[in-house]
Amino acid sequence: MGVLVEKFKEGYSLLFDRNWPLWVGGILLALLGVICMAAGRPWGVAGGLRVWSDWLFYWIGLYSTAPAHAFFLSNASILTWGLLFGAFGSALMSRQFAWRNAPTLELVKGLVGGVFMGVGSVMAGGCNVGGFYTALAAGSVSGFAMMAGLLVGALIGLKYLMWEIEHVTSKPPKQKASKEGGIDWSKVQPWLGALFFAFLVGWAYCMSFRAYTQEAVLMIAALGIGIVIQRCRFCFVRSFRDPFMTGEAVATRAVAMSVILSVFGFFAIKWFRADWQMVYIYHHWIGGLVGGVIFGIGMLLAGGCGSGSVWRAGEGQFKLILAVITFSMSNSLFKNYVWTKDVANSWGKPIFLAAVTDYFWAIVITAVVMLVWWAVMAWNEETDSLTIV
Amino acid sequence: MAEWTPDEVLDARGLSCPMPILKTKKIMKTLKPGQILEIQGTDPGTRNDLPAFTERSGDELLGEEQRDGYISFFVKKG
Repeated sequence: MGVLVEKFKEGYSLLFDRNWPLWVGGILLALLGVICMAAGRPWGVAGGLRVWSDWLFYWIGLYSTAPAHAFFLSNASILTWGLLFGAFGSALMSRQFAWRNAPTLELVKGLVGGVFMGVGSVMAGGCNVGGFYTALAAGSVSGFAMMAGLLVGALIGLKYLMWEIEHVTSKPPKQKASKEGGIDWSKVQPWLGALFFAFLVGWAYCMSFRAYTQEAVLMIAALGIGIVIQRCRFCFVRSFRDPFMTGEAVATRAVAMSVILSVFGFFAIKWFRADWQMVYIYHHWIGGLVGGVIFGIGMLLAGGCGSGSVWRAGEGQFKLILAVITFSMSNSLFKNYVWTKDVANSWGKPIFLAAVTDYFWAIVITAVVMLVWWAVMAWNEETDSLTIV
Repeated sequence: MAEWTPDEVLDARGLSCPMPILKTKKIMKTLKPGQILEIQGTDPGTRNDLPAFTERSGDELLGEEQRDGYISFFVKKG
């Protein structure tokens, strides 16, 4: 028994003491993303956030008709719940969950960044995940436009942060002194985390008996995404921002590689399911580009993108909890406005890359763009030519 | 008592990614080689980001100390 306990401790330490390398995250996210696609609902974050506020505004009487998707058991919503739960459980398992307050200025940036992200993600058809990462994997030409927009937005946002450091001072929040005695939460957290996961998995199993198999599969996949993303501290913002900030390109490499891997999986599924060809294809190019710029500024202000804000909220960071709330609300309101005014058509047309070229060249083109991004940022890592800080 | 005596202290408590690193990078530019910066932080990401930063910048991460409610990191300008 002693040996088993020892091995168990080693395994726990390997998984939850140290962070996992980013490239591991890139591979696992590609795998989980393809699983979601195969289950009929590609991974996105903004869609779920929107459903939450759609219901909120319906309940308070602002919207007259009930939202089409259920608050909890609908495929878009469950993906974002799963991400939040996965990150929360993973933070508990690794004793990293804590209520983290931030200076007032930071909280304001969270609120404003959330609004920018909410609006940008409506225009681009999704956040950095649905509008860029999953969109590129699904062969949406708008994904390239959003990528360009995100790069521009990240630069603008970073410029602002540098200006702010020079010109604005903010006081750190009061730190609570740790209390003597009481429960040592760091010892309890991993057990709570394990219990939480056991409950969710059991619950997913029960759901599958109630004709909610798709939701159950998606929730398990999203839980996995939440764990992977929290353990790697996988951050899409970093992939766009760090080359300009510290010159580092680790995150860029991980994201570029992950997109290349996903493309194969998505295209294989789309090849066999011709009726899914237009799944996750959005308005090109104004929607992606302008939405990307707005979203990019927002994610720099908030310090988290769609996925990044949600997993950090799950870790107890108050600033990102606020960002998630305003993201969700502004996305719902703006989307509602766009639908009633029917303006989305002026943002361009949805184009499936493989329908313009063919499957082979669509994969080649996507991979080449990712490799160029990777190469430019790797060159910058050596030369710091693009670094502006 | 701290093992290292800092020349400058950066209070990054309550700040989240990327502000601690951004501020660190800015202050490090003003230090002379051999001077030490203490960074007080509460963001769990800093423990990953700081070693990655110093490795690239040529500065030396001396170590960290657990304080009451935050962690102090010590970086020596290279």
